[in-house]
Amino acid sequence: MSGGLVIRELEVDRGAGPVVSGVNLAIEPGTITAIVGPNGAGKTSLLEAISGLLTSTRGAIEIDGEDIVKLSRRQRAARGLVHVEQNRAIFPSLTVRENLELVNSDISAVLEAFPELDKRLTSAAGLLSGGEQQMVVLGRALVATPKFLMIDEMSSGLAPVVVQRLLPIVERFRDAGVGVLLVEQFAHLALRIASRGIVITSGQVTYSGAAAALLSDEALLHRSYLGE
Amino acid sequence: MLQGALAGLAIGGVYAVIAVCLTITAQLVRVVNFAQAAIGMIGAFFAVSMVGTGLAQPIAIVLGIVVGCLVSAAIGWVITTWLADATTSARSAVTVAALLLLISLSFIAFGTRPQSFRPLLPGPAFTIGGVVVTQVTVAMVILAVVVAIAAKLVLSKTRLGTKLRAIADRPVTAEMIGIPVRALSISVWLATGLIASVAIIVIAPTQSADATSLSLLVIPASAAALLGRFARLDLALIGGLGLGMIQGAAAQFAELNVLRDWIPLVLIVAFLLWNQRKEAWDVAR
Amino acid sequence: MSRASRRTIPRLWLRSGIAVIGLAVGGVIAAVLPGYLLYIATTAIVASIALIGLGVVTGTAGMIALCQLSFAAIGAWVVSWLNLIHAPGGYIVWLLLGCVASAASGLLLGIPALRLRGINLAVITLGFAAALDLTLVKLQFPGADQGTKIQRPWPFDDDRGFFLFAVIALVVAAVVVSIVQAGRWGSAWRSVAFSERGTATAGASVRFAKLSAFAVSAAISGLAGGLLAGQVGMAFPTSFAALQSLALYLLSIVVGAHLIEMAIFGGILWVLIPEIFKRFGISQDWGLVLFGVLGIQAITSKTSPGQLLRNAIARRRPTPECTSSLTDAPPQPPDTAGTPAVGAALLEVSALSVTYGELKALDHVGFTIHENEIVGLIGPNGAGKSTLVDAISGFVPLQSGDVRLQGRSLRRSAPHVRARAGLRRTYQQDRVPPTLTVGAFTKFVGGGASTPHEIDEILDFFGCPDAGTPLASVDVGRRRIVEVAAQLSAKPNILLLDEPAAGLSHEEHEGLALRLVQVPARFGASVLLIEHDLNLVRSVCTSLLVLDFGTLLASGPQEQVLSRPEVKKAYMGETEML
Repeated sequence: MSGGLVIRELEVDRGAGPVVSGVNLAIEPGTITAIVGPNGAGKTSLLEAISGLLTSTRGAIEIDGEDIVKLSRRQRAARGLVHVEQNRAIFPSLTVRENLELVNSDISAVLEAFPELDKRLTSAAGLLSGGEQQMVVLGRALVATPKFLMIDEMSSGLAPVVVQRLLPIVERFRDAGVGVLLVEQFAHLALRIASRGIVITSGQVTYSGAAAALLSDEALLHRSYLGE
Repeated sequence: MLQGALAGLAIGGVYAVIAVCLTITAQLVRVVNFAQAAIGMIGAFFAVSMVGTGLAQPIAIVLGIVVGCLVSAAIGWVITTWLADATTSARSAVTVAALLLLISLSFIAFGTRPQSFRPLLPGPAFTIGGVVVTQVTVAMVILAVVVAIAAKLVLSKTRLGTKLRAIADRPVTAEMIGIPVRALSISVWLATGLIASVAIIVIAPTQSADATSLSLLVIPASAAALLGRFARLDLALIGGLGLGMIQGAAAQFAELNVLRDWIPLVLIVAFLLWNQRKEAWDVAR
Repeated sequence: MSRASRRTIPRLWLRSGIAVIGLAVGGVIAAVLPGYLLYIATTAIVASIALIGLGVVTGTAGMIALCQLSFAAIGAWVVSWLNLIHAPGGYIVWLLLGCVASAASGLLLGIPALRLRGINLAVITLGFAAALDLTLVKLQFPGADQGTKIQRPWPFDDDRGFFLFAVIALVVAAVVVSIVQAGRWGSAWRSVAFSERGTATAGASVRFAKLSAFAVSAAISGLAGGLLAGQVGMAFPTSFAALQSLALYLLSIVVGAHLIEMAIFGGILWVLIPEIFKRFGISQDWGLVLFGVLGIQAITSKTSPGQLLRNAIARRRPTPECTSSLTDAPPQPPDTAGTPAVGAALLEVSALSVTYGELKALDHVGFTIHENEIVGLIGPNGAGKSTLVDAISGFVPLQSGDVRLQGRSLRRSAPHVRARAGLRRTYQQDRVPPTLTVGAFTKFVGGGASTPHEIDEILDFFGCPDAGTPLASVDVGRRRIVEVAAQLSAKPNILLLDEPAAGLSHEEHEGLALRLVQVPARFGASVLLIEHDLNLVRSVCTSLLVLDFGTLLASGPQEQVLSRPEVKKAYMGETEML
């Protein structure tokens, strides 16, 4: 299989013991994989280790067969790995248009995907609502034309109706051939649009399989989130 | 008193230019540059010493400006390389050291007596209602206004300005999307070094041109920058010119001889208290 | 003898011993050194005293002060003036009055600095130094035009005698500062240098900490200035120039002047370097250049030679073993009757709303926590849990609503006042200053509510390192447990814990849970616990509050709340398809 993002036996240690251990994952282009699990389970640390924000202690990360563990963040990004972080890293004092044009001067694709941004183009990005800021960040990812896109807790702090608005864009990425890794604490939202589902509890993968199967296994989800 | 106020416009122009430089560095590279005026002083003194060796004045001035740029870039390089993640305090502490370094190096290289500058723009420009306005005054005011407007235009209307503001907001994210943070930061230092050198070279012939007084022009300049909270170029401009005029007017009264020196500090304190009247807890601390 | 108090008695002997040795060494030097060297040795002592003062404000309290010699000038001015008008009391009294005057100026200059971040204080102090420079040149010191010499008291009136006097002054200043640094003020200074929020949460006023640092350092500088005037016989403006203040500030960073022995070393350097340059025919301005370069080196390397030396010595000492650990079984509670019954209403939160611009972070949140209760605060990420704790503890302005502790409204109270009233909290971020030891930090946060023996017990109960362990050598997760223990040592009415278990291993999670259950019985405090680990929450909390998008979704006994469908939905993100 070529063109995939493969994680093997990944372990991440933040100093007080591993927060992620023994994770095996394979993301194919043109798919959405949902990673769900309770807070503090290690989902964010997993993404950070893949994109290079954190250094993994063990294991391999491969893109198209190339091990990228030794590469810097910039180098991993250059290989088409885009990480949309939890903290909505927009430039607050720049306008929306300036935020988008920094990556690519042609922002028509973004405005097509998010027509709401059209009337906010001249507003300072820091004044936008959480949902609008998330649109800007996703728009930036859109024009960066990634091969693999990892989105961390897109729905954090957003009302459900806003999240409904953003989910079709994630599907667009998939339709364009991007391999999407969608991390969410709100399992149902992510599992509905994903083909594969992974549950991470206490840093380890406790379930890996078809998303639809996971969605219908209420007992398993409740156990993972709310404890025994 | 009007004559005094108008005479004060010249030094007010210097305050304004330095204040604009302080605001730019504070906004774009997160540093309060205590050495801003000292950088100009080194450039100016270098130019004078070159004239002393027989070089033509225009060439000497250009060389002086280049020296000012290089010194400023060197300071910026140290800060960008080793203190990229440090607090504004730590980064600015380097400029405190640079201030001391530049003044003492100036003593060593050029002696401790005030330098004698051949006036660059001698004489009066015109007269308004019996009050004489010198060429230097006109030049300084024009320089201050031009610099402030140019900075505002570059920052808000050019792609370079957008990148600079992005670096100021989130340097790590800017780096990630491919903006050359290091190179652009140092270019900010180059630009402010150039501007400060030009200003000091123009004003130096009319002042007591000793290293310490020229370098400490950064204090009234910071009062002006504080009017704009180290964020607004227009208020820095107005503050600088205004402070110069106030000091000039006060100079007419012999009784205010001592109090005059305290005007900048009083204004600094007043502006700081006003800026921070609503106490808010810094999330980061 | 308890672990916490074991250190103070030897320290007293240590201080007295060093003081006596210092005096003896000074006496020997006074007898042995030739006149000129004695003179510059006196200057070194004066510089050391000024550096001790700088060490307090910049090294310990973390503020940038560029006008140290201006405070010295005020001390010198007062001494010169009192001498000129033949004021009663003599030199020693004038010296002390000079200190008072300097302290007063420090307070005056410090007041605008209270709210200011470090860099703004730097601007003010440089402005002060420059303005005072100009004024001194214009006005000169009292008695300058007449050439009046300062009367020194017998037996200190000759150079040898005055050197001894300077040594005595240095020893006194060093002992006083050392005592203050080790006490509550010193802990407050170190705390405020690291985190203002952490300082307020310990019940200490940030304003007071900053002001006291400034005033103490100014007073010590005043002493130095008065001594300088006495040494020379007259004060000269050039000795107190702004440039010299800059050089002194940089020197204090280079040597690490918050350590008294390094301040003395710095004072020696202050005179030694120019002297060496003079011997070699090099201009003394190169001394200033050297200070500038060394200063840049120290700032960019973020440490000082003195601190490196101390660290190296500390590494040689065997690390004290932790006598207890979170993974051990905890001791049983004293009252074997079990958990105490839930009592009267303790903390009443009503209609609390917090808005950030357009975003409603908290919307009319209201609940009551009773005595002896352990309540869990749960909810998905971004629900507003930390904001709620920030609002209750006073760090976030309320748009509406009230917080009442034992019936008294806290709405208008500053955070440190709320802390003193018995409302304590911990943080998700690390706000524990690494420059303190476990014991000093606990004592500071506890505010004297617990005896040293009780402090030892609390530290032991939570499996914390020994009281003498520097917090810098404790890892983050364990530091935050020390924070929990320290806040409990303040004997609060209620303790708000923000994810205390983050950074702990699984076994330590369980150990912490077992101990948290005992908190009401053992310490008489109620607990509000923010936690993600719902297993921990289940085993510790009797009732739960569920927050979602800033509103209180559910509250009540634990089993009930967790089985409610809307709670499950909030966590799992089930939404109706619109």
